[in-house]
Amino acid sequence: MLLATMRYTSSTRAEITVAEKLLRDSYAPLQSGLNEMRRGINGLGLHFAEKKNMNAKIKQLNREKAQLTMENQRLQEYEAETLRLRKLLNFGEENKEQFGLEYARVIARSPNNWFKVITIDKGAEDGIAQGMPVISPDGLVGRISNTSQHSAQVTLITDREMAVGVILQDSRETRGIIEGTGDSYSLAMINIPYYAKVKKGEKVITSGLSEFYPKGIQIGTIQSVKRESNGLLLSATVKPAVQFDKLEEVMVIAKYNPVSESGINEGE
Amino acid sequence: MRYFLLAILPFLAIFLQSTFFNSYSIKGAVPDIVLVFVIFYALLNGGRKGAYYGLCCGLLEDLFIGRFIGINAIAKAITAYVIGILQGRVFEENVIVGIIGVILGSIINAGLLLVLVLLNFSAFNVNELLFMDMLYQTLYNALVAAPIYIWFYQSSRRGLLKGTGEI
Repeated sequence: MLLATMRYTSSTRAEITVAEKLLRDSYAPLQSGLNEMRRGINGLGLHFAEKKNMNAKIKQLNREKAQLTMENQRLQEYEAETLRLRKLLNFGEENKEQFGLEYARVIARSPNNWFKVITIDKGAEDGIAQGMPVISPDGLVGRISNTSQHSAQVTLITDREMAVGVILQDSRETRGIIEGTGDSYSLAMINIPYYAKVKKGEKVITSGLSEFYPKGIQIGTIQSVKRESNGLLLSATVKPAVQFDKLEEVMVIAKYNPVSESGINEGE
Repeated sequence: MRYFLLAILPFLAIFLQSTFFNSYSIKGAVPDIVLVFVIFYALLNGGRKGAYYGLCCGLLEDLFIGRFIGINAIAKAITAYVIGILQGRVFEENVIVGIIGVILGSIINAGLLLVLVLLNFSAFNVNELLFMDMLYQTLYNALVAAPIYIWFYQSSRRGLLKGTGEI
C-alpha cells in the first residue's frame, strides 16, 4: 500500500490530503514564530567573556561596547532587510499589474536533503494555488507544489525533479532545459544544439514556452559548456541568479496567462 | 508519558530540521534527527518495535514533505529493523555504540531511499552531489548522535522514556 502511495505522490499533486493540510497548518505558526524570533535576535550571537579581575571602568566600557556592537548588528540587519524589501517593492510595483504578485516570507525549508523545497507563509486562503510560479527580484525561484490553508510549499528549480525551458538572453535562439541538480549553487542546462554559440557569462532566462513560467525571468549565468558524449548536444553548468540558501522573501505570480505555443516540455 | 514523548519527538525533530538546522547545514546537508531517534529506539527496544516506530515517524515526515509518501516510512522501518538486531548484542550503555549505530543506520537508510526513489521515479536526477549529501548527512547525524544518545539512553533506562515492560 505504501509503495502504491509513493508512486501516486511522486509527481506534483493538485490536492494534498487532509492529514497533510492539518500537519502543515499546525507547523506553519511554529515555523513562522521561530522565523520571526530569529530575525528579532539576529546578531545576539556574540557574548563577551568577561575576566574576573577587571576593574569597574573596563567592565562598563565593555558593556557599552557590547551594547553598541549589538545595536550596530541590529541596525545592519535592518539596513539589509530594508534594502531587500525596497528591491522587492520596486520589482513588485513594476510587475504587480502584469503578474498580480503576492508577497510571502520563507518560514521553513526541506527537512531532508533529497528534495529542495521551501515553505512560505501564504496559503490557499491568500489565493495561492498549485502550479503558480514563484520569483524573487533576482530571478526564478520555483513553483508552488501544494498548498494548505495558511502555508504553501515551493519546489525550487534546484530540486532534482525540476526542469524549466530556457533560452539565452543575448542570442534568443539557443534553447535548452534547465535541470535541478540538488545543489543550491549550480544548475545544469541540457539539450543545447551542438551548433549553438554558448559563451561563459551569458544570461539564461525562461523561454516562456510553457504553461508554468512567464518569459524572460532570469535563471542564472553560464559557467561552463561541454559537448555531450553523443556529440549532438551540448550541456552547460549554470550559476543560479537566486541565492537559494539566503532566500527570505519571495513573490508568487498569481495572475499568469500562459502562451498557447507548444514547445519544450517542462516542470515534470 | 512515555508514549506522548515518543510521539512528540519526531514532531520536534521535523520542526528543527526544517528551521533551525537549515541555518546550520554542513555543505547544504541537514541532519536527520528523526532517523537518529528511530535508530536509538531500535537499538534499545529491538528490531520489531523499532520498525513500527520507524514506520510511524517516517510516515509523519512523508506527510510533512508531501512527495513520495511512504518512502521514509519504508526506509526508516527497514533501517530500524536491521539496527534493532544489535539490541542485546552490544554494550548499549556506551555512547560509541549509539554513534556507530547512527552511522550504520544512516548508510542503510540512504541506500534504501535511493533504491526506492529510483524504483518510483526514474527521472530523479542522481549525481555525485547526491552521494556527497548522503556522506555529509551521515557525518552530521553522527555529530548530533552523541548528546542525543546520552539523553535517550538515560531516559530509556531511568527517565521518562523508560518502558513498563508490557511490550
